[in-house]
Amino acid sequence: MRIALILIFSLLGCSGSIDEPVSYFNVETPRPFGYLNGDEIPQRIIIETRSGITLQTGSLPAKGQINRWLNLNRVTVKQSGQRYQIDLLYQVFYAPLEVKALTLPGFTVQLSQGEKTVGKSIPAWTFTLSPLRELVVRQTEQGEYMRPDSPPSLLANDRAGYGLAAGLSVAAPIAAYLGYLYACFPGLSRRTVFKRALRKLAGLSKADMAQALTLIHQALNSLNGQPLFADRLSDFYQRNPQYRQINSQLAWFFNYSNRYFFSDGMIAVTQDLQQLKDLCERCRKIERGSR
Amino acid sequence: MNTDTPLTDWRELALQFEQQINQTVIGLQPAVRNIVLAVFARGHVLLEGNVGVGKTTLLRAVAQGLGGDYQRIEGTIDLMPADLIYYTYLNDQGRPCVDPGPLLKHGDTLATFFFNEINRARPQVHALLLRAMAERSINAFNRDYALPHIQVFADRNRVEKEETFELPAAAKDRFMMEIHIDMPDSDAVLDELMFNPRFHDTDRLIQDVTGSGVYYRLNELAQTLQQQIQTSPKLHAYALALWKATHRPQHYGVQLSDVEMPQLLMAGASPRAMSYLIRAAKTRAWLENRNHVLPEDLQAVFPVCMTHRLFLNPMYAYRKEQLLPELIKGILDQVAAP
Repeated sequence: MRIALILIFSLLGCSGSIDEPVSYFNVETPRPFGYLNGDEIPQRIIIETRSGITLQTGSLPAKGQINRWLNLNRVTVKQSGQRYQIDLLYQVFYAPLEVKALTLPGFTVQLSQGEKTVGKSIPAWTFTLSPLRELVVRQTEQGEYMRPDSPPSLLANDRAGYGLAAGLSVAAPIAAYLGYLYACFPGLSRRTVFKRALRKLAGLSKADMAQALTLIHQALNSLNGQPLFADRLSDFYQRNPQYRQINSQLAWFFNYSNRYFFSDGMIAVTQDLQQLKDLCERCRKIERGSR
Repeated sequence: MNTDTPLTDWRELALQFEQQINQTVIGLQPAVRNIVLAVFARGHVLLEGNVGVGKTTLLRAVAQGLGGDYQRIEGTIDLMPADLIYYTYLNDQGRPCVDPGPLLKHGDTLATFFFNEINRARPQVHALLLRAMAERSINAFNRDYALPHIQVFADRNRVEKEETFELPAAAKDRFMMEIHIDMPDSDAVLDELMFNPRFHDTDRLIQDVTGSGVYYRLNELAQTLQQQIQTSPKLHAYALALWKATHRPQHYGVQLSDVEMPQLLMAGASPRAMSYLIRAAKTRAWLENRNHVLPEDLQAVFPVCMTHRLFLNPMYAYRKEQLLPELIKGILDQVAAP
């Protein structure tokens, strides 16, 4: 008889725990006091379920604002077998006038087995929030006792400054020279076209007539901004009226160049080269603005 | 400077001819000069312009002035290639007859063939003309007919686009020049055209042009002329640079507004285009009484010889009326000689 009773009781004892879907449940919370406005409060919930029962993660509170003063910043769920570890990170935004008790609201998580669902409620948790300062701000001789943070001290940057200055002083002349080579200063190079042409012309003899003519053509072209031909001289004079005074010499030059380059049987004489040099000299004078 | 007597005499004749045309069709001096160049360089001419500006009158006057056998046909949408070669009819006895059409009627003495409104004819007709223009011969009745003297003048108006066929690129390339005819802009000329009764009756106007009768010797002259006029190595270099610039204008610093230059052109000038250009330039040098070609000769004929031969990418084709002249001017402005 005793044995039968023990058997019945032990069976009764087992029956309750077999129906329970959660085998282990715990809410781990930090200290319930000493929080300030803006503090983050972690909460960890551990649930172990019976086999075949799964946690509906959709039933967890959503990240974002919970109520007027409480935000849920992060929700992470780690699962290992039937054990679920739910980490919630709340942040309070409440400025109490004195120490005040607040409550993290409770909620219910859903566990499901097949089509059946069972709710497991997570209890609300109460903690106290303290004010940052006294209700009435005290004035001292130095003014309010609340002060801004001290500004951070500056890092030493003397070496970087010296390095930059040195680098720039080397790079600037190089850039200027490169710009000059790439003809980025048309005004500057246009004021010295005939200077350069004269320098090159000085070393040429009448045997180098083609080169001499080409030099002056190139000088005129770069002054004009595009190739200059005899029939476009009037446009050229409109843009550069100071060259109109040597019209006859320029006309001679184009005529001579046409005959030299495009018809055969033309023999260059020293006098022609001299005339070319004269033309270049006059152009140089106009270029310098002395005529 | 030109010491060759026959060429000098011919030059006088050519200038007289030009002057006579200019008296008949007034206010179109640049176009007349280009036509004279094309005639003496033995190249075909396409005229383009608005309605009633004198395209047809100009071509008739030129044909009359040149002499030689003349045929004319009007481009219509139902014109077929066979219509140029033969026509069939019933004679007085009711028997069917086949007679040679406009192209064959004069046999090998056909000189001027005037195709009015060429863009109204179908591509099949253009295709027949391709051979007649390029090879100066056609095939009909199972044999080849040579047309050694043929010179094709064609015109088209650019007002209407309906019921017209754009000339294929190959057909355009066979025309030496496409000459654009605009209204004369001088008030005196316009007044003359309005009120002088002489210009009201074009038939009588054309009849006043005296035929020079020189036509059948033109081939020979053109050959002599092309051999006598000299070109220097520097000029060859300049022409080569112009040619390359029609393929890759961006390499010569040509830049048009709102255009990606490398994508602008689908095709540049062909070798035939360049040979036409040099022929026209030599003829111009001759008319200017020189025995050598100057860059200015090339520059003078470059726009009329090249504009219809450059083909833009479809992306830019709708702006071709604006872009092509700018491109041609850009190339002439940027390529240097020497």
